[in-house]
Amino acid sequence: MSIKKFIESVKASLSLDKIEKRGKKKSLKCLLGKLETRKEILGEVPKKKLNKKELKELKEEKEIITLQIKKGKKLLDELEG
Amino acid sequence: MLIHNLYKSFFAPIIILLLLGSLFLLGLYPDISTILGGIALFLIGMEYMESGFKAFSGGLLEKVLGEFTSSTPKAIGTGFFTTAIVQSSSLISIILISFLSAELISLTSAVGVVFGSNIGTTTTAWLISAFGLKIKISVYAMPMLIIGIFIPMLLKESNWRGIASVLIGLGIIFLGIGYMKEGFETLKEGIDLAQYAMAGYAGIFVYVLVGAVATVVIQSSSATMAIIITALATGQIDYANALALTIGANLGTTVTAALASLKSNENGKRLAVAHFIFNSVTGIIAILFIYQLADLVDYLAAFIGIGSEDYTLKLALFHTIFNVIGVLAVSPFITILVRFLNTLFIPKGSNKGKPKYLDDAVLPLPSTALSAIIMETKHLYENAFDIITHGLNLKKNNILSSMDLDDVVKDLYSSGPIDIDNFYNYWIKGLYGDIIDFSTKAQVNMPPEYIEELYKLKLANRDIVEAIKGTKHLQKNLLKYDSSRNEYIKEQYDDIRKGLAELLRSINTIATTDEEDVIMLLLSKAKIHAERYDIITNGTLDRLIRKGLITNKMATSLMNDSDYAYRISKNLIAMAEVLFINMGSDLKKLHEDIGISDEEVEVIAHKKDHL
Repeated sequence: MSIKKFIESVKASLSLDKIEKRGKKKSLKCLLGKLETRKEILGEVPKKKLNKKELKELKEEKEIITLQIKKGKKLLDELEG
Repeated sequence: MLIHNLYKSFFAPIIILLLLGSLFLLGLYPDISTILGGIALFLIGMEYMESGFKAFSGGLLEKVLGEFTSSTPKAIGTGFFTTAIVQSSSLISIILISFLSAELISLTSAVGVVFGSNIGTTTTAWLISAFGLKIKISVYAMPMLIIGIFIPMLLKESNWRGIASVLIGLGIIFLGIGYMKEGFETLKEGIDLAQYAMAGYAGIFVYVLVGAVATVVIQSSSATMAIIITALATGQIDYANALALTIGANLGTTVTAALASLKSNENGKRLAVAHFIFNSVTGIIAILFIYQLADLVDYLAAFIGIGSEDYTLKLALFHTIFNVIGVLAVSPFITILVRFLNTLFIPKGSNKGKPKYLDDAVLPLPSTALSAIIMETKHLYENAFDIITHGLNLKKNNILSSMDLDDVVKDLYSSGPIDIDNFYNYWIKGLYGDIIDFSTKAQVNMPPEYIEELYKLKLANRDIVEAIKGTKHLQKNLLKYDSSRNEYIKEQYDDIRKGLAELLRSINTIATTDEEDVIMLLLSKAKIHAERYDIITNGTLDRLIRKGLITNKMATSLMNDSDYAYRISKNLIAMAEVLFINMGSDLKKLHEDIGISDEEVEVIAHKKDHL
């Protein structure tokens, strides 16, 4: 048995793949949490007080974060499924 | 036996000399020939073992040394255990030097590890005394050699090859000890070296000197210890002289370390001085109190069940005790020692363009070599940051501050151009070449996953160099149009400078923050903002020409320079993605999965409200 196959069989018997997946899921959930918080903070910024440049920046950040949250949630669904 | 570099360059000649000596003496003194052959085998075995550990430790040693050295007691303990396990203080010291260079460990911790390593290395004497001489270990050598030779035929993985090397090394060491023992036993029938035994302090000094010279000549205190123990076991030297020889071996190894450090960087030299001071102090204490120590050994030997006539185990105990006493004596002064070491080997002149982290000693250790390349690439980027900033006529401190970017571009660095070629030649060219050269050499020992990472790092290096070249092209017109009377072209060039200043500031934040969401957001924003340089698609150029705000010549320059700015941005973003997100981290994987794609960048950037 090659060492690769041996490692694979050990991984399978100890369900290490699942542990790896769980680790990624945990990190993703943590990142999504941070992104959601940031989005909430951006949502609470009083737009009337911002100048044109700042408003543009705010919109851009919100757009990026929304996109990242969407992609993150999709990835999370895949990992859970 | 601290550092191995020079030992390696002398290794082949020493082995050849020993083998030639062995052949020459075969007819006249077959027993001496057997002893020399045994020493040669012992040295070859150690070499095999060390290379085996390098191959299969897979960065574990580095992780242990990096994580368990936060306090001096921890560092001493880690030094002891790691050296006792791998039986090579030289391997530990190579990793220490690279960690010091990469600033992953403090000099205080490294000195602590060296102290512990000195105690750890005494386990060799215990192993030889307890197993090497009590049983006929050469019998076990053959199965080890057979298994070690067959493993690589069946299992091609580098880990297995490493294990095979360790087994072969152990087998050869066992054979070497067996031959040394046999040689000394037969030698006794012809010449009795014990007749040269000397009593009193004169004997101590003579034998300390013999031990030191022997270690300097064969470049390994472990090999010297093996000779001393086998000679003692066969009654060729008496116990008191063996104690002095052991002290000598401990002193001699510092010469090996000092010679080896000549090839190393300032960190290696400082560590060698620490080793020299430690072993010298330990040696002086051991010589001064040798009789009291011998009594202590007798007392402790009886206490732990070592027979009063079991001189080899008592010698091993003596070796450990005087090293432990050395650690206890020197450790309270570790802060003073480190303060003193930091005043040594301070590089003269500017070292900005010279490698700080690359050390050939770490080439056989894939994980450490990769860390060194990452650190050196960051060093290259620091230099590039200065050149790009000044090339854009910006002040470095302004970029690193929270100053409004409109003000950053107004505060000029100089009234004339800086010679980017000159800076490139001094700060970048040589360093870049050294990184690529080191990477090529390191690649030979790396597993595929490291090679993939190394390839990305090489690209990051190239991106840095390309960004500087782009800045050089950009600089000419930047200066020209920054002082232009045409406010429209001036505004465009200021916008280029502002964009690049923003990018440099973002990269600095990415490099210094641990917040994953901030890193991802800044990288995404940087990618979107780089699209501002696409002045044909976003209509800027069209507008300026149509309204006759700039001349055709200005338009051509702006078009070319916007392209340079775009490429500089792309280069720097690609570099940051490789260099400032830790390899193997969750963020790296997540950034690849949920970071925004090129298509998404275009969609966001070209939305009307972005223009």
